Amino acid sequence: MPEMLSRIADSLFWMARYIERAEDTARILDVNYHTMLERSHLPYRLRWDPLIVMAGEEKPFQHLYSEATASTVFEFLAFRPDNPSSIVQCIAKARENARTIRDRISREMWEDINGLYHMLGRFRPAEEIAAGPHRFCDAVKFACHRFHGVSDATLPHDDGWQFLRIGWALERAEATGRLVDVQYHNLLEAPRLELPPDNHQWMAVLRSVGAYEAYHREYHSPIRPEKVAEMLILHPQHPRSIRFSATEVQAGLRAISGTGPGSYANEAERLTGKVLESLRYNTIEEIFAHGLHAYLSELLKTWRSIGEDIARTYFYYAVVA
Amino acid sequence: MPLAQTEVSRTASLFEGYDPGEFYDEMFSARGVPRPHYAKMFHWLAAMVPAQFEERRQLADLSFLMQGITFTVYSDGQGTERLFPFDLIPRILPRSEWERIERGLAQRVVALNLFLQDVYGQQRILKDRQIPRALVYSCQHFRREMIGVEVPRGIHTHISGIDLVRDSKTGEFLVLEDNVRTPSGVSYVLENRLVMTRTLPDAFQAYEVLPVNHYPAELSKILRNLSPRAGDEPQMVLLSPGIHNSAYFEHSFLAQQMGIELVEGRDLIVDGGVVYMKTIRGLKRVDVMYRRIDDDFLDPLTFRRDSLLGVPGLMGAYRAGSVALANAVGNGVADDKAVYSYVPAIIRYYLGEDPLLRNVETYVCSKETDLAYVRDHLAELVVKAVGESGGYGMLIGPVAERAKIADFRDLITANPRNYIAQPVVALSRVPSYHAATERMVGCHVDLRPYCLYNGEKVIVVPGGLTRVALQPGSLVVNSSQGGGSKDTWVLNGEA
Repeated sequence: MPEMLSRIADSLFWMARYIERAEDTARILDVNYHTMLERSHLPYRLRWDPLIVMAGEEKPFQHLYSEATASTVFEFLAFRPDNPSSIVQCIAKARENARTIRDRISREMWEDINGLYHMLGRFRPAEEIAAGPHRFCDAVKFACHRFHGVSDATLPHDDGWQFLRIGWALERAEATGRLVDVQYHNLLEAPRLELPPDNHQWMAVLRSVGAYEAYHREYHSPIRPEKVAEMLILHPQHPRSIRFSATEVQAGLRAISGTGPGSYANEAERLTGKVLESLRYNTIEEIFAHGLHAYLSELLKTWRSIGEDIARTYFYYAVVA
Repeated sequence: MPLAQTEVSRTASLFEGYDPGEFYDEMFSARGVPRPHYAKMFHWLAAMVPAQFEERRQLADLSFLMQGITFTVYSDGQGTERLFPFDLIPRILPRSEWERIERGLAQRVVALNLFLQDVYGQQRILKDRQIPRALVYSCQHFRREMIGVEVPRGIHTHISGIDLVRDSKTGEFLVLEDNVRTPSGVSYVLENRLVMTRTLPDAFQAYEVLPVNHYPAELSKILRNLSPRAGDEPQMVLLSPGIHNSAYFEHSFLAQQMGIELVEGRDLIVDGGVVYMKTIRGLKRVDVMYRRIDDDFLDPLTFRRDSLLGVPGLMGAYRAGSVALANAVGNGVADDKAVYSYVPAIIRYYLGEDPLLRNVETYVCSKETDLAYVRDHLAELVVKAVGESGGYGMLIGPVAERAKIADFRDLITANPRNYIAQPVVALSRVPSYHAATERMVGCHVDLRPYCLYNGEKVIVVPGGLTRVALQPGSLVVNSSQGGGSKDTWVLNGEA
């Protein structure tokens, strides 16, 4: 078996990240919208700007729109070609990565992502904005799940698959971290003075990561913000928790390098191990005592470093004389 | 529904009003009279109503779109992806006719390979004055760097695409041009066949069609045998300019079919005269390269210094024999359009045989008498720049505007060596579906068979790519100029 080209590993990694990014955006858009519908009788307006903060695209958004409303945010996050993180752009980039490695992925994977790209091209933004994000976001979410499934079922689980797995998990860990951070900040700290404890909004957060039902099975209790945070950060099995994603990153990295437990072969593995220790042995109370925002910001920085170390270890070659 | 002879009813409207005209029609010997090898196909199609046909056509288009078999058009500034238009009516050749073509192709490929060995070796043909030395040395794609280089197994033309046309006047196949640098299109041969078997499975049951899908395996065998490291499993790669190249689909398709690595210049590095690729576990040696990058861009140290596509130092490694390339460097001297007019002489010189496939009559503007004739008859001739391909740098006299003819007259006068001219060949036609009218229309076709050479034997994939000028009346079949393609069937028998 010949070794995998660095460029191909790079493309697989990013293909997975872009697909995951599209899915995460679709989830958040959809849930926020539904929450808005349910609460239309309330005297205050649901805020849409946190979604832009979560996507990390405040500047381009402000450049284009004067106000964050359901339709401007939906248009911006779903369709705008000048938003590099819009769903349509993410899928286009994922497909472009797939196209450069189509000889290395399965035919089914290529046809699936190519079909997804063409499907998105058939949506008319104006119509979808009028209809609301559900139909569009649901189609994206489902298509991203299918791509996961097709990849899992048709690609040999070799090094290439591990790079996919790491890309998915790293992106998801970042997305969940941002979600908790931004929602906590906005829901708990800012409006506390004027609003009653708002379970609907936390339900929406859980729903956006598909963890609503799991929460009830786990806690048998009304929805409480710190429990939601615990579930999304520390849960060992829920596939969208940060800890679960970190476990996936570690498993992928170890499968590639062949490293056993208790040691590391490169900086990315060392950092992942360190993060995972913290996620395993910290309680949510300790994290709150430390400061949730500080903890999540630290994590986000570490994910970035891990991404860079993976690139340094596997993707980039220093110029050889 | 198995294919069976059907009574042609008066409502069989796909062929209503179909007129073979004054051209050689591949399907009909006369109006309403199909040739024996097309009879079953004709009756089957004639029994269909346009709606049934349209349904199959859409199925085929969808299949191409979903597989991403597209090429990119950059002229609109957006890099739009287009389908390579595909017409469902196959081009059918009976076996005996194909075998004559095949022998002619094999003869030509062997002779061109001997010519390249000689031109970059002893140059006997130049010393014997069979071709003017000045003509060879002035070829745009002649590479002095190749003189004295012994290529692995003496093979220069591993892969050739020889363009043939059938002349309506005589019904004879003629060679229109040779492509022995990096001919493309073979992936369409394989994909067209795949789509056809899915779309018209019933038509295949009635005919015994020779298969084409062994091409990647044959090519892979040839590449493997070029490895400079005996014994070890060779590391083979396909070197592509990358995703923005219009033939990128083909590059990835062939790499996947052969199970070899698809690489770009940036994936490779030359160190100590050896080519390596950059993998996740360090540098790995590369032994054989099927390169789909033109000579000019292969190595910025030797050829174009501004090339970012190639690999610095690659030519050094190639000349030292540490890596094999297919096709060899410098092949463009053999498919130069002025040298083309000497190919019959080349065949006679090296093989002592008469050419089995004739050339189209050609005026070489570097000859004074030819130049005078060409300048006076531009409105009747097709003029081609000698180093170009893909339908670029061409004048089609009979349909050109007067200003363009005048421009070409100036160009030719300024640089006669750069041009040749040929009479317009009345290309044969095959019925093709015209969606706007829901009728069959005769469209002009050419044929590009793909020939593989292993140093001993020429292997030709039965058939090849039939390119079709789908614009009614057009003679230009190139995909960059609105042409499409058809599946080509060589029958295992006569009908």
